[in-house]
Amino acid sequence: MLKFAVKNLLIKKLNVVLIIVSIMLSAGTALLAYNTAEQVSDGITSTATYFSAIIGPDGSSTQLVMNTMYFTDEPLGTFPADVMYTLQADSRVATVKDENGKVKKDGDGVDMKYVVPFAMADSYNGYNVVGTSTLFFEGKTLKDGEWFDDESCMQAVVGYEVARANDLAVGQVIYTGHAAGEVHAEGITVVGILNQTHSAYDNIVFTQVETLWDLHEHGEEEEAGEGEGEHAHAHEGSLCAILVKTTNPATAMSLVNSYNDKTVSDTDGDTFVLQACEPMSVVRNVLNDANSTKYIVYVLCGIILVMNILVICIITLLNMNYSAKEIRLMRLIGVSMKKITLLYVIENGIIGLFSTVLAFLTSKLCAGLVSEYVQDMGVVLNRFKVYPLEFAIMAGILVITVLPTLICTKVIGEKDAV
Amino acid sequence: MKIECKNLSKIYKNESEIRYPDFVFESGKSYLLLGTSGCGKSTLLNMIAGVLSPSAGQILIDEENAVEWQQKKKDLFRIQNIGYIYQDFKLIDEMTVLDNIDILRLEHVDTAKAPKLLEKLGIEEQKNKRVKHLSGGQKQRVAIVRALVKNPAIVLADEPTGNLNFEIGAAVIEDLVKSAKSDDTVLIVVTHEQKFAPYFDEVIHIGGESRA
Repeated sequence: MLKFAVKNLLIKKLNVVLIIVSIMLSAGTALLAYNTAEQVSDGITSTATYFSAIIGPDGSSTQLVMNTMYFTDEPLGTFPADVMYTLQADSRVATVKDENGKVKKDGDGVDMKYVVPFAMADSYNGYNVVGTSTLFFEGKTLKDGEWFDDESCMQAVVGYEVARANDLAVGQVIYTGHAAGEVHAEGITVVGILNQTHSAYDNIVFTQVETLWDLHEHGEEEEAGEGEGEHAHAHEGSLCAILVKTTNPATAMSLVNSYNDKTVSDTDGDTFVLQACEPMSVVRNVLNDANSTKYIVYVLCGIILVMNILVICIITLLNMNYSAKEIRLMRLIGVSMKKITLLYVIENGIIGLFSTVLAFLTSKLCAGLVSEYVQDMGVVLNRFKVYPLEFAIMAGILVITVLPTLICTKVIGEKDAV
Repeated sequence: MKIECKNLSKIYKNESEIRYPDFVFESGKSYLLLGTSGCGKSTLLNMIAGVLSPSAGQILIDEENAVEWQQKKKDLFRIQNIGYIYQDFKLIDEMTVLDNIDILRLEHVDTAKAPKLLEKLGIEEQKNKRVKHLSGGQKQRVAIVRALVKNPAIVLADEPTGNLNFEIGAAVIEDLVKSAKSDDTVLIVVTHEQKFAPYFDEVIHIGGESRA
């Protein structure tokens, strides 16, 4: 039966190929729409859960979170790095522990705490440069090399995409510069390359915060963006944000309350107003604000899916209509409707299976292209990520390529053969 | 095998009705149904084959009323016992000659005899050609092979020589009649050409009582 079905399909191969391509495009669009919507949503929320609080200059909390967690937008401004020392002494901040649960100590024998500096300045071939500490990499792994030394300077760990796009290897020296085109004379040595994370990390050059300060101290001092519309870069002794992990959610709230609207001053006597926020709350608010947009995306996905189901049904019905003459001939010869139905279920099942597999592969291929566009949102689509509902959609597509066959053969079977 | 048609009639969608006289067809005998076009000859064959239901009457096959059978049983009987040569061949144009015959294997019919029959009818060389590339006469011979390959107990032939020249047509008829005798089958042939009448055991004229 299978042999005969395959033979019958090969006879009408042009027709079969066109049907497979049509179903593949319809189903592929539906799978891609669903997968992209889910990954964008997941990508935005998952990044925000790691740190409990972010402290930065006063202004838009959304901008602060987006800049610090997703490396998008400009930093709000800078503030004195001394705030870090106050936070390191704060009992509400969680200590860093090793694999054995022992508290890690820094070079001076002091307990290490989850206080992570964040400064954004310069770029390398269009990729942003972020000054931070190795704690920023928790949960990340290296593809090559090692982490930079927090006690050292002029070292960089580059994201997977940065290394790939610029053909970078460990040991190479890179020269960063301003967006305007000026390049610093002093280079930074690449000491490590991150494994692919499918997040904004893939597109960033990370270095010690001190590296940024050093690069900007010799006659290249930046005008930190104190006015609206100006670029805000980290300059010596200043940070754009501090990321903190607290001992528990209650202390996170308490920390946020105590640092919100707090005024600090630098050695020159300039004052800075701080803000603090919980990144998860900010992201949740942003997503809530964008809820209607999200629903529109889901409704559009739904419409695409329904339209494609209809298209696939119509294609299958047209195919069966084309086969109606064959079915009547087989009946006249004496082939039972059971065998005829089985034959066409196998034929359309093969078409459905091929189309579904190709649709799946096409959607994954296109996910790579879509990824280029959503990288700006801090989300890198993982083309290999598959959601359970995608399997349900594929099973549904397979069913709707076979179901009209059963209906058609039943209708034909109920009529006289001549 | 014995086929008895009793009080058969068929009402068409345009409400015209054909009433048939009673017939008896027996194994080992050949029957020629003669009649003008539209008199219901093909309809009678279709009803005997179980592809068309009569509006009234009985078709007794070995005393079992086949009209009352479920379609499934009719299909099974047809594939196992009836070799039907259709006037318009009923071949799938896109398939090859062999594939058109091998369709029968879907119902586990042994088609091993096909090459021999194809050779006998002079179309062995065409066996791998698509039916759409054959002439009318070649198609007719493929239809004959497909009908005979399963050694049917009943052979129904609707204008089996319509696309053949007289010599080949006469040879085909002669073969069918001989086979009916030697294989003890029922052979019912429909045609409007009286010239083949001498080959058959019985010639039945269907004028039919027909009324609009």
